[in-house]
Amino acid sequence: MKLRGWLLGRVGGALATILMVLLLNFVLFRLMPGSPDRTLARNPRVSAEAIAAARVRWGLDKPLFPDQLVAYVGATLSGDFGYSVKYGGREVTSVIGEKIAPTLLIVGLGEIIALAAGIALGAWTGWRRGKFGDRVGTLSALILYSMPYFWLGMLLVTLFATTLGWLPTSGISTPGGPGGVAGIVDLLRHAALPIATIALGLIGQYAILLRSSVAEALREGYVLTARAKGLRDDRILRGHILPNALLPTVTLAALNAGYVIGGALTVEIVFSWPGLGLLTQEALQSRDYPVLQGIFLLLSISVVVANLLADLLYSRLDPRVRHGAAR
Amino acid sequence: MSGNAKLSVGGRILNRVSGGNLLLLLLRRWDARVALAILTLLALSGIAPGLFVGPLQTATTAEAAPLLPPSGAHLFGTDDLGRDLLNLTVHGARISLVVGALSAVITLLLGGGIGMIAGYRGGRTDALLMRIADTFLILPTFVLALILAPILRELIGDQTEILGIRTTLLTIVAVIGVTSWSSTARIVRSQTLSLRERTFVERARLVGLSPMRIIARHIFPNIRTVLVANGIVVIAGSILTESTLSFIGLGDPFQPSWGTILGNAQSAAAPSLGAWWFIMAPGGAILFTVIACTIVGNAIDELLDRDVRVRR
Repeated sequence: MKLRGWLLGRVGGALATILMVLLLNFVLFRLMPGSPDRTLARNPRVSAEAIAAARVRWGLDKPLFPDQLVAYVGATLSGDFGYSVKYGGREVTSVIGEKIAPTLLIVGLGEIIALAAGIALGAWTGWRRGKFGDRVGTLSALILYSMPYFWLGMLLVTLFATTLGWLPTSGISTPGGPGGVAGIVDLLRHAALPIATIALGLIGQYAILLRSSVAEALREGYVLTARAKGLRDDRILRGHILPNALLPTVTLAALNAGYVIGGALTVEIVFSWPGLGLLTQEALQSRDYPVLQGIFLLLSISVVVANLLADLLYSRLDPRVRHGAAR
Repeated sequence: MSGNAKLSVGGRILNRVSGGNLLLLLLRRWDARVALAILTLLALSGIAPGLFVGPLQTATTAEAAPLLPPSGAHLFGTDDLGRDLLNLTVHGARISLVVGALSAVITLLLGGGIGMIAGYRGGRTDALLMRIADTFLILPTFVLALILAPILRELIGDQTEILGIRTTLLTIVAVIGVTSWSSTARIVRSQTLSLRERTFVERARLVGLSPMRIIARHIFPNIRTVLVANGIVVIAGSILTESTLSFIGLGDPFQPSWGTILGNAQSAAAPSLGAWWFIMAPGGAILFTVIACTIVGNAIDELLDRDVRVRR
């Protein structure tokens, strides 16, 4: 019963957030330059009647609230995000839709690699805190954490693609390249540097956070108990410390999703990777606001869902969370 | 963020370390000394870039050949228009640091104000404000900033200057401030919550001071140090966000920041031409600034933390 109340609260919170995003988007649409009547009003030869007719046609004669807001929310919920300015009036959903998979590929793989490597590095440095390896590891984590993603990407291109020639500099595939298995290899060769950039950019913060939670866990009584029982070091680390120290990292990974996506957008620009990031830059250059808002809405909803999933995962991993919340 | 979370735990005692005191304590640590030295050097070049490298070179005043690697005449090489990268980077310091600092000021004002009001009023106000803060904490605010910046720019026009800063840059300041206040608000709120229960605040309330006066006279002075610690981290974040926005093309070509220079390097295909020097100087400047800020922020955190532990 308690669990169900907790769940409902979480889901309700997520829905409220999405509703707030919709409201924000609605306000942005009103602020946007280039609404039909304002564009017409700039031309002195357009009559007042024509402007009034345009206002009726686009529903701008109705009050902002509730009529326009309801119309906007209704349209958005039914999957109508409006039409792209740049792509000759194509639906925003279809323009954005085809860019999702490439972005998901590099962000997803980058995040998984970063989590694995960050956890390993953080556990190691936290365990050996104060020693030489910890100093080096922590300093590298700090440096990686302080680098803008796009700069890291540019450095990797210069080194591994241009100077050493190991990997392609940009794009998602070789033009006129092979199909089948060779095609997949080609895709992975193109994806390697973008994935590495995202992973390296993220490792730093996961490692720093995990290091401090491992260091904190080391002071706990149960570690002393495990020691007293005569357990080997690696069993204490893996069986007792890590399960507890991992929790904040899970939260950070989810909370960070929005930030990671922002960084990934710029990585795509560096590598001309045809995903949402490149689309964002194109849309910015041509002031294609409907596409920009569509991207914001899509990313917001994904991030909210990611956080909800992390909450659920967290409560499975740590029962104290749901009991604490239900109390 | 993890460091700041720590601050809020021992919130009630933090005000004991005062401003001048804090600087002296910082100077006792070697890592903070190095970081402060770097920041001072950067600030100096931001204040008077002309003193070090002469006026900002433009496409018309540049004399050197394009894309020269570093040499005695051009320590950091030249860009695709033949501009000296040392010149550009030192002048970029002014833009990056001013935009970063101004954004941080707005972030702290917004976050501090909202946090204090939410924490002091409590109840529904608190619930609503923190709901909004949490939303901003989760959302991809960077994407929101990307949309807001051009909209704001078209609304106010971008042909004027205010105090020598072009309005294109001011829109960036506003946009960063509006999208990044939430974590400051959370920290300040939790501090305020514990301060509200202290006797001196209760006494002020009994004497009949208005809530605004209590916040100004009794709450604010006690969260100042926390704001300083958070402010350093916020500045680093703002500089990173500014550089990213400029890299994407929202900067001002007439007042290039480090991010703008890197954006130019990307459009000139510097990475695939192997022109590593084009990206080294501006990127290195960002890296050093952010690392220095992080080190100072961590040092303040640890000092406050120790302060808490000693007083307990």
